[in-house]
Amino acid sequence: MPEFTLIVVLVIALALIFDFTNGFHDTANAMATPIATGAMKPKVAVAVAAVLNLVGAFLSTEVAKTISGGMIREGDGGILITPELIFAGLIGAIVWNLMTWLRGLPSSSSHALFGGLIGATIIGAGFQAIDYNVVMSKVILPALIAPLIVGLVAFLSTRLAYAVTRREAGRPDGRGGFRYAQIFSSSLVALAHGTNDAQKTMGVITLTLIASGYQTVGTGPEFWVVAACALAIAVGTYTGGWRIIQTMGRGLTEIKPAQGFAAETSTAATILASSHLGFALSTTQVASGSVIGSGLGRRGSTVRWGMAGQIALGWVLTLPAAGIMGAFAAGLALLGPIGIVLDVIIGSIVVAGIYWWSRSSRVTHHHLLHDIDDAGHVVRITKTPRKPARRDRKKVAL
Amino acid sequence: MIDWFAFPVVAGASLVSSALIVTLYSLGLRLMTSAGRSPTVGPAEFTGAITVLTPKRAAKEARRTRKALAANPLTDGQKRLALVGAYACFALCGGAVLFGVYLIVPALQGG
Repeated sequence: MPEFTLIVVLVIALALIFDFTNGFHDTANAMATPIATGAMKPKVAVAVAAVLNLVGAFLSTEVAKTISGGMIREGDGGILITPELIFAGLIGAIVWNLMTWLRGLPSSSSHALFGGLIGATIIGAGFQAIDYNVVMSKVILPALIAPLIVGLVAFLSTRLAYAVTRREAGRPDGRGGFRYAQIFSSSLVALAHGTNDAQKTMGVITLTLIASGYQTVGTGPEFWVVAACALAIAVGTYTGGWRIIQTMGRGLTEIKPAQGFAAETSTAATILASSHLGFALSTTQVASGSVIGSGLGRRGSTVRWGMAGQIALGWVLTLPAAGIMGAFAAGLALLGPIGIVLDVIIGSIVVAGIYWWSRSSRVTHHHLLHDIDDAGHVVRITKTPRKPARRDRKKVAL
Repeated sequence: MIDWFAFPVVAGASLVSSALIVTLYSLGLRLMTSAGRSPTVGPAEFTGAITVLTPKRAAKEARRTRKALAANPLTDGQKRLALVGAYACFALCGGAVLFGVYLIVPALQGG
């Protein structure tokens, strides 16, 4: 490892903190369903999620390459992005992330990251520094299309799961057995999360190393970067999980084991396929899409379009809003070392303020699980969709 | 240049793999039930869970399940066949997952 300048060290540290918060925030995506349906003990679920995030981070580097090598034009004649600008982008992303977390707004940490980076780059290096084709085909279009794809897949999978295990009159359907399956499907989601989300940080660190000349243009992340990111996201997942277990009370969306299994399988399949192609997805959006899709796959379900619209609006807002934050931070950073110091100070004040605020107001499970939970509420399911015939009523329904 | 072809590829891959896994597992469960081994998940194993049945209710459900399964129209041989089929389904399902992971990890393919 060569000796790094202070700003590079600062960016790496900040990126790893971002990675940590990402894991912290997203444990619920993978593990809320199995905990809620009783498929796994919370303690075990959180530990499994952490380990699989760690493993997942090592599996692929396509997404990291999208960020480090495609999104922002760097090197050979193009405009050089500086570590200072990446630093500003990260500050913007973290501040936006914490603000939405506090207000309970649905948002995506991945899009906050991209928004911050893009905003900072535009301010620091101009509009032509961004490769809009890559942004469009690897970030924005997947963001719009993936939740729809996963929703459809989850809908069909849920229908399949229920159709295949259709209850014969008076005989148990064995659907309780889906709980065992959920242990594996939710683990797969955790693995998929590692393959997509940990890589975003790898991409940022690699981009920084390339921008400051420690690494040649067009190369993938180095091993120590992969290892550090994997570790950060795993530790974040583990700590975040504890927080969720402590505060999670009732009021979680009711998800049946069969539905949960179908939703998780679709989520994992979609994220893994996307990671393979280098799509930098928001795992939260994919998980939300599949929860909605699988809810619709159950009998007697209707969509609350107003709520779905709210969630979608939050998603759409994230990228430009974080972009503005990143642009603002980049504007300061351009002032030179004083600007960087100002960025750090303002960022710290905002973070400290949000932390203080969250301590004083009671943090409910809504703050911790809001994204997926909101998605679950988009679909309303009638409790008794069909009145059973009198002769069937006393029969087993386990 | 936007690679529009990538989106149907992702959609197709997710749909096929997800449908395959869900169908295989569901089929396994159904065959288990046909074989008279309906899996009941009691609260004893998952004490930390948030939505659990009370032990009393779980015992009642288990009893009802047993009773319902007692009247099984299948012969012993058929039951055994169903059970083997169920395990085959679970095994295929696990295999499908492992194959999927194998496909996306470049290190496993020597490249």
